[in-house]
Amino acid sequence: MVGQGPSRVNDAELIRAAQQGDHAAFEELVRQYDQPVLRLALHLTGSEHEAKDIYQEAFLKAYRNLGSFRFECSFYTWIYRIVSNLCMDYLRRKQVRKEDPSVRVSSEGEEFDLLEQLPDQRAGASPEQDLMRRELGKRIARALTKLTPRERMVFEMKHYQGLKLRTIGEALNTTEETAKNTLFRATQKLRAALADLK
Amino acid sequence: MNCDWVQENIALYMYNELADDARHELEGHVERCSECAAELKAMRAFHGEMSDMPQLEVTPNLLASARIQLSEALENVQQRRGWRWALDPMALLRQMRFSPALAAVIFMVGFGGGIGTMYRMSASLHGGSLSVEQQQEASISGIRNIVQEPGSSHVRIDYERALPETVRGSVSDPQIQALLVMASRSAANSGLRMDSLALLRQKPDDPAVRESLVYSLRSDSNPGVRLKAEEALTPMVKQDIRVRNAMLESLLNDNNPGVRAGALKALETVRDDTGVRQALTQLAKEDPNEFIRQESARVLTQATGAE
Repeated sequence: MVGQGPSRVNDAELIRAAQQGDHAAFEELVRQYDQPVLRLALHLTGSEHEAKDIYQEAFLKAYRNLGSFRFECSFYTWIYRIVSNLCMDYLRRKQVRKEDPSVRVSSEGEEFDLLEQLPDQRAGASPEQDLMRRELGKRIARALTKLTPRERMVFEMKHYQGLKLRTIGEALNTTEETAKNTLFRATQKLRAALADLK
Repeated sequence: MNCDWVQENIALYMYNELADDARHELEGHVERCSECAAELKAMRAFHGEMSDMPQLEVTPNLLASARIQLSEALENVQQRRGWRWALDPMALLRQMRFSPALAAVIFMVGFGGGIGTMYRMSASLHGGSLSVEQQQEASISGIRNIVQEPGSSHVRIDYERALPETVRGSVSDPQIQALLVMASRSAANSGLRMDSLALLRQKPDDPAVRESLVYSLRSDSNPGVRLKAEEALTPMVKQDIRVRNAMLESLLNDNNPGVRAGALKALETVRDDTGVRQALTQLAKEDPNEFIRQESARVLTQATGAE
């Protein structure tokens, strides 16, 4: 789980240095924030390859636009705003293609089930429990596809990344109130979808 | 506070987003109202199910590999824009557009991939614009459209065809090199990819050739081809940071132990590089492959000893 924004004072110094062409300062900023960025992209795409692409594009965008950063929000919010937009674009494209949420294509071009690749790390999980958990995972993955990209993003940022709704609102260029409503809709839809599948 | 309010805010309660006073009131209401208590129970069950969903997590290898790629991309943005075309296969195709003979040969070396010449033939019982020999020789790669002309027995068929062609020349010839580069990247036959790499390695100083070798090391699906590319790139690890990064990536992520061992051997010459040392430290500690663990530790010891 990520924190709600590391030291802003330190960030401001790093950003100013990076704006003046200090590459090491930019690298330091990347290192401070890149793990949650990669994690968010990995969860939303379900693919290491896609996640790395989004990660790279997010930081390249940040690098190219750093000169126009005016300290009106934290770097943390700013980079989340960039990566959220990229992830939502990805989800929109995927919705158009209507792919099976748990089926991915490996770098060798073969299809595999993502949920089959995830080990059950809980001690003592029996094969039956493991199977049930995988089934649940599949049902949830399908239920998540019922959400709009924005609902999916808010739910991911709240449930799996543990961000505050205020931060989520800022990252998505909206208000905390709208983020709350979006979270409400997302949970309602997911509960309905999971109930239908039971 | 009524039941509607509780049900609208129960998700916020679960996610700790309610103000303290509202939270207190909601808890009080739920104690008194069985319907809302059931709603809270269902919400808790939903929360638990969602938390049980298996999730992919960022591994140290994934993070290292993402950082290496980003560092390379940043370097490209900063310095050497001239390299970028070679990273982009479409840019190579755009160059090819100006050389039709060369483009046609692409088929011969097995690229396929949709570069066709569009022919429009008005075919009738009396014959069309292609002779029988030509039609036999040409590979029809797709029929696009069939239209019967009104009031006649004529049809119009739009189709694509590819004619095989041959080109001969020295390995130093830029056209030959461009074809070899394309073959090394896209030929369907891995033997063909290996042959092209074997020829390309004679020209390692050419940026496009080097880029192609790096591409094969990173992306080829056949470990034999990756090994061939790795072998050709090994002498350049010291002088070229991109080659070094590609080797590091192979060492961290390649699924073939032989390719990883080769990358480790190649990187031994630059063991004092900070990135290499970080990777080796990580591998020596936790890599599942015993050989890689031991070798990483050995190279690290040498690096420390040399300081």
